[in-house]
Amino acid sequence: MNSLILSAFSRFLFALMLVVSLYILYRGHNDPGGGFVGGLMAAAGFAILAMADGVQAARRMVRVHPVALMGAGLVLALLSGLPGLVNRGSFLAHWWFHAGDFHSGTALAFDIGVYLAVLGGILALILRFYEEQPEA
Amino acid sequence: MPLSAILWISFLGSALARPLALRLGQRAGWVLAILPASLFGLLWIAGSGLEGAGAIVEEVAWVPSLGITLDLRLDGFSRLFGLMITGIGTLVTIYAGAYFADKPAHKGASFLALILLFMSAMLGTVLSDSLIGLYVFWELTSLVSFLLIGFDSYKASARKAALQSLIVTAGGGLALFAGILLIGMELGSFSLSNAMQNSAALAASPWCGTIMVLVLLGAFTKSAQVPFHFWLPNAMEAPTPASAYLHSATMVKLGVYLLARFDLAFAQVPAFGTALIVFGGLTVLVASVRALSRTGYKAVLAQSTVSSLGVLVLLIGLEGPVAATATVGFMLAHALYKATLFFCAGTAIHATGRTSLVEINGLRRALPVTAVAAALAAVAMAGLPPTFSFIAKEYLFEAQLESGSGWFALVALVLGSAVFVAIAGIVSLRPFFLGRSREGAVHHGETPGLFLGPAVLATLGLLLGLLPGLAVAPLLGPAASALVGQALPVSPALWHGLTPMLGLSALAVLLGLALYLLWPRLLARLAHLDWLDRLLGDAGYNHAFEGVLALARRCTLVLQNGDQRRYTATVVGATLLVTAVGLVLAAPPLAIDLSLEGLRLAPAVVVGLMVAAGFAATRMRSLPAALVAVGIVGFGSALLFLLNGAPDLAMTQFSVEALLVVILAALLLQLPIRPPSTRSAGERRVDALLAGGFGLVTFAALAAMTAAPLDLRLTEFFAARSYPEAFGRNVVNVILVDFRAIDTLGEIAVVAFAAMAVWGLLARRAKGKEPT
Repeated sequence: MNSLILSAFSRFLFALMLVVSLYILYRGHNDPGGGFVGGLMAAAGFAILAMADGVQAARRMVRVHPVALMGAGLVLALLSGLPGLVNRGSFLAHWWFHAGDFHSGTALAFDIGVYLAVLGGILALILRFYEEQPEA
Repeated sequence: MPLSAILWISFLGSALARPLALRLGQRAGWVLAILPASLFGLLWIAGSGLEGAGAIVEEVAWVPSLGITLDLRLDGFSRLFGLMITGIGTLVTIYAGAYFADKPAHKGASFLALILLFMSAMLGTVLSDSLIGLYVFWELTSLVSFLLIGFDSYKASARKAALQSLIVTAGGGLALFAGILLIGMELGSFSLSNAMQNSAALAASPWCGTIMVLVLLGAFTKSAQVPFHFWLPNAMEAPTPASAYLHSATMVKLGVYLLARFDLAFAQVPAFGTALIVFGGLTVLVASVRALSRTGYKAVLAQSTVSSLGVLVLLIGLEGPVAATATVGFMLAHALYKATLFFCAGTAIHATGRTSLVEINGLRRALPVTAVAAALAAVAMAGLPPTFSFIAKEYLFEAQLESGSGWFALVALVLGSAVFVAIAGIVSLRPFFLGRSREGAVHHGETPGLFLGPAVLATLGLLLGLLPGLAVAPLLGPAASALVGQALPVSPALWHGLTPMLGLSALAVLLGLALYLLWPRLLARLAHLDWLDRLLGDAGYNHAFEGVLALARRCTLVLQNGDQRRYTATVVGATLLVTAVGLVLAAPPLAIDLSLEGLRLAPAVVVGLMVAAGFAATRMRSLPAALVAVGIVGFGSALLFLLNGAPDLAMTQFSVEALLVVILAALLLQLPIRPPSTRSAGERRVDALLAGGFGLVTFAALAAMTAAPLDLRLTEFFAARSYPEAFGRNVVNVILVDFRAIDTLGEIAVVAFAAMAVWGLLARRAKGKEPT
């Protein structure tokens, strides 16, 4: 698509969506959000980039292969379950770290894995579909 | 040493075998044989203290929450099996090392690794007391034998035979598994020894008949009994060392092992014994005819193996303690001579490059040790004194006479024995001692690795015949006792005196001699009887196999014709049908609350908007406009989620809708904005009917769901536990990443694999285009 306005605006939108998606990923534990929605949103950000500036520009922004992103997410989710095996005897029984009212632990790592897997998966679809499109 | 340690050593050793064999090169067979040899020693020591029907039991936990264990048990019978498995395994490993000496190193290494893995699986089967464990190892033997039979995977016939054996044995294995589950249900335990002691409870069960049929199916497929006898001769496509192992001593005898074990469990079900006698006897007769109509060296041996298995099955079906002694005696005797003959056949085929008995002659000069071993094994196969087989055969006839089970079993046994005599002559006299081998016919001589196995086994067969005490006290006595469940006095001697058994033996030998002399003429007759081959061969299997493939092709043509709309219609139609049937049959019957009480304005407006957009989508000719209309429906449902207090769901729905529009837009950009309609009026009516029906059924289902009282137990559970246990206030997300995280893991894996498939599939299309 050859639209200067969309193209200029898309960079800003992309950055905004990526930041918001990370925020949504993080806040998911206590408020609406989480890795799945976050991943979808980030993918939408890349999709806007692909729509405005072409699939090559979007791919450059991803830097790594979308399938690798997906794999990294799966591996991270899998690894986040291992500590639970050590002292709680159960896969994916999460470890927690507390500082006052702040709680975090391997559950966040698992959610990041979900985020990456969803992002990589949707990106694989989007990049392929836009690739098919003849350059205008 | 604990039994589990023996299994661990076995499996670990087989896992290391391939890399080790690659390093060792030519000596691989000799070095790797240390593994089965030491297992043989361990089993010998472990069971040396066993007396009578005693056993060593070891409890191994596996899935305690389901009451499933991997308990192991060693008694006289499983020890005899274990010793045969590891003993012959040792010789097979040495033989295979020599057999593959002139082939590429990686092939020999893979083969040795498979043979050892196969041995481990069989050891696991006979050492398991847990029926679940037994089943797992049982299927493992089917899988590994698939790989062994199809080892020369470049040959289409090998691939076909491998698949056939897998379908038959693994299919029978599934029947066995169903039987095992029923036993567990009826007896409350998956323990084999428990089932053997609870024959009364089993016989009283209403499922008894079903269990019996399922267990018989499992055993008959594995041990190639009629009507599943066809796969074993076809499996001779395997390299000969594998044939010697799979088909002589061991794997096919696992079915016999199972039947012998279940003989006690089904002690109070007379049909069990009758079924064994009938099917065993039929197998003996069918295999005898087929053995005499073959010319391939290994094919004749294979058919005679099927016949031997029939004899064993028949023996288990006979009543009385002598039958147990005869079973274990014949089992050992058969393993000794049949493995020897397979080894000799392998060496003869390897040496000449020919496979037909008609073409192999007079090899005694070229392969002297092999020839002597073949001669000894043939004497044993014919059941002549002074070999151990003679004693075994005396018992065989005695068991038959003692049980008085009728003429059918007797005729089958005498005829079967006569054919054994004839086959013994055919496979030993002709290839080794009669005629002359042609000049230059022998390409490979015999090496120590090739003649050690047959020499040892043939000598053992003779030695045990001369000194039967060597085998009886340590092996056969405990084995037979374990089968009947009480200590059994066993005292075999070579000379029984002038008994009816001796008379039957003599009759069998005379008949056999006549058959041997008539063989060339018989062969000429039998080989041309096509109907016989069709009747007794694998024609039925082939018909069933082709039929399934044809059905699959037809289904594919109808259901997967390449038209996306047809796919959608199939999916929607199937969902519709299942849901509708579920609703109609629902208990309690469907109650739909149609009162408008509690109707709220905002959701009603949103729903009205969605309905309008839905109608609009069906009327639009322009695709982008239709996409927008469908988008409104999606965003509308997100709004509904939001209005009903499900912000997480709404957020996800918004994101999904946005992405859907983005993705579909990418596809629509490549299509004409207003595509010509390709649907006929009739097709559109069907579409409308499906869509309308789907809407109606969904509506009915939802209305019924809201009419039922809401079960809030789970909601309350998660709400109460979410913060104290997982430190999160967003219950939805806490369920996703913590309480049910393993489900989420599965889901993201599905997403990942689906996306990977799309990535791969579309890449191939993109490649066909010109690069832009």
